[in-house]
Amino acid sequence: MKNYLVRRLLALVPVALGVATLTFAIIHLVPGDPVIAMLGETAAPADIVGMRHQLGLDRPLPAQYVAYLGGLAIGDLGESISYRKPVSRLIAERFPATIELAAAGMLVAVLLAFPLGLIAGANPGGAGDLGAMGFAIVGISVPHIYLGPLLMILFSLDLRWLPLTGRGGIAHLVLPAITLGTALAAILARMLRQSLIRVRASDYMRTALSKGLSARAALVRHGLKNALTSVVTIIGLQMGALLSGTLIIEIIFSWPGIGRLLISAIGSRDYPVVQGCVLTFAMTYVVVNLATDLVYAIIDPRVRVS
Amino acid sequence: MRKTTARLVLLTQIAAALVALAGCDSRSSERSTDMIQVDIETSPTSTDPRFGTDATSSRINELIFDSLVKTDRNGEFVGHLADRIERPSATEIVFHLKHGVRFSDGRELTARDVVFTYDSILAPESMSPKRAGLEKLKSITAPDDYTIVMTTAQPYAPALELATEGIVPAGTPLPAKQSAAGPIGSGPFQMVDYARDEAIRLERNPYNPHSSNTAQSILLKIVPDPTVQALELAEGVCDFSGNYIEDDVLPWLAAHPSLKISKTPGTTYRYLSFNFRDPRLRDLRVRQAIAYSIDRNTIVNTMLRGAGRIATGLLSPENWAYDGNVTTYSYDPQKAGQLLDQAGYPAGRNGMRGLRFEFKTTPEGVRMGEVFQAMLQRVGIELTIRSLDFAAYYAEIQAGGFDLTSLQWVGINDPNSYYMIFDSKKIPPHGMNRSYYSNPTMDRLVEAGMSTVDLDARKKIYSQVQQLAADELPYVSLWWVDNVAVMNRRLEGFDAYPNGSFRSLATLTLSSPSGGEEPSQ
Repeated sequence: MKNYLVRRLLALVPVALGVATLTFAIIHLVPGDPVIAMLGETAAPADIVGMRHQLGLDRPLPAQYVAYLGGLAIGDLGESISYRKPVSRLIAERFPATIELAAAGMLVAVLLAFPLGLIAGANPGGAGDLGAMGFAIVGISVPHIYLGPLLMILFSLDLRWLPLTGRGGIAHLVLPAITLGTALAAILARMLRQSLIRVRASDYMRTALSKGLSARAALVRHGLKNALTSVVTIIGLQMGALLSGTLIIEIIFSWPGIGRLLISAIGSRDYPVVQGCVLTFAMTYVVVNLATDLVYAIIDPRVRVS
Repeated sequence: MRKTTARLVLLTQIAAALVALAGCDSRSSERSTDMIQVDIETSPTSTDPRFGTDATSSRINELIFDSLVKTDRNGEFVGHLADRIERPSATEIVFHLKHGVRFSDGRELTARDVVFTYDSILAPESMSPKRAGLEKLKSITAPDDYTIVMTTAQPYAPALELATEGIVPAGTPLPAKQSAAGPIGSGPFQMVDYARDEAIRLERNPYNPHSSNTAQSILLKIVPDPTVQALELAEGVCDFSGNYIEDDVLPWLAAHPSLKISKTPGTTYRYLSFNFRDPRLRDLRVRQAIAYSIDRNTIVNTMLRGAGRIATGLLSPENWAYDGNVTTYSYDPQKAGQLLDQAGYPAGRNGMRGLRFEFKTTPEGVRMGEVFQAMLQRVGIELTIRSLDFAAYYAEIQAGGFDLTSLQWVGINDPNSYYMIFDSKKIPPHGMNRSYYSNPTMDRLVEAGMSTVDLDARKKIYSQVQQLAADELPYVSLWWVDNVAVMNRRLEGFDAYPNGSFRSLATLTLSSPSGGEEPSQ
């Protein structure tokens, strides 16, 4: 287990290198000039040249790339061109907000998906199944950009229960988390339903029933744990979708996370910030998937992480 | 199964409790009645007036920092920190400062602070984006604590424009070494808290006189989605939103009893621009045909819901140098067709003339592009639309990589803007003449306008400039966009500035709160 963990952590290095290289290449290849964006088009040519030199943008791309990697090796993500602050500081200011939102979205997804999946899987074709799967279809179909304002109108404007926007206490988290987590809940509920239907037909379930257990007791005691393995895998894989979903949610709910930082940095071609944000997203995704693999092994002892 | 059911019930109860808790939390921090919330779309790029050049920075900094002069609603410069202004020669301006103006920490603002502010902008190591705007400034000195002398190398008519920088206290470090709230100023407010991408809190500068029934603090909340800003206004959370609410939503907000809408003439100028490097577009008849093809009245009345005025040129009627007695191009597709025939582009059997142009825009401008596309198709011109993200679009426009495009100029005050936009010396990378327009008569006029200090003589020059621009059509003038502010009815005395300034927030008075029903606890 320990060796496995070390190996997986070491594997983060080439992943980080790949992401850093790809992001560096893409952001430098698309048109747009951070110096003009900052100084404006009335800037004196001497100032533009001076600024390019100060930012190191007048060096050949390979030299800039090597310097960027050199900084990364010592944990230096560079300095924001627009904000003139260290990128790591900007990301550190916002990362907790994005993680808070993603975690809350995941919690909502799990809280919704498990009861719905259980209800649907326990009696396929029944009224509960139809209702739960109806929710699943609606949940997957409604985009964040529509669901968010809809929830705002209902819970903030009409019922006046929850705040519209911003980050604060739990209240501020409820609507963004529901908006973010609903689609994932729908996917998880469908996955859990399918897994439950599959395990219900397995031999060990028949054995459990023949021992005199009721169908529901057999399902909960023996079927659910086995059904969970595929659901946990999906949770890990969907973390990427959840993180990218925060970009839209942060805009809709004025949530001060990395997504908004990334979008404004792309607009101003703030290269270091774009690179830092993408790298942070990628590393978060990889670490979550590593954690998922470990949880997977705990749920199903037949799986050996080594 | 009972256990499972019990667990499900428990989970549901936890979820319900969380929502209930959230409901309590949401309303636990009711704001004071003398605070107003203003929704803005983005964070300012800088809270330091020596560096912030974007509209959001300028509008916020205007509430915190004072400058030697400010523009009035006609675009004319009037003394602000300067009690008296003298122009002893065509290259020299003397500003006599008011006594007793204090920064928010109690220090008196003196000429030393003014010179420090300008020196730090001009210092090469500061790399301030405002440095280019001060290129005409030869020197700035302080003969005593209350006198500033600015000199320019040559006679420079709009020299007062150089005196609009917000003043910071001497010794203020550069942004990288500042706190998030940035430097202090002598304006009506001071910044007490700044959480990037969240909110900015301003409180009154205790040393700046103000009436007790005005807003004592302003929460500038960053809400990037215009629909959400509209919802916040309707809920009564937000008190004011300026020039960001979509036209489609305005009727819904207007019907809300707690809200009122201020729609006033603005100076923001929307235009259609040509690329003069394309020989087809260098033909005046083609440009005129395009001008006659655009039905601007219909666009203003439908797309803009009437929130604009048909423009005759860069300068709006409020500007002291405005002259509306110029050539205009009302919608006339028949005339457009005749001009294209004369230019050698006869209509084919399908009505098209073999004229195909690319209209470059941002995703937000696609809708407008589609309207132009449909209107030009009626006269046989084919327009393809290419949308790029703003940074890529801006780079393309600067490099001359477009046929037609439409943009707007915001905050036009001095007519010297004509020099910045139409003089052939200002073709990129040297300036903002992105049309690559070159006309010796225009060059001579705008350069004369820049160096003629006498106001009457200058006004005559700009009358000729406006006529020439209308005849030559480097731009097709479309409309001046109205300023539309939506605000809570408790805000009284809002005085809209044509340039969309937030200045009035410092002086408007507050009546009892009006936000609809009380929120439940």
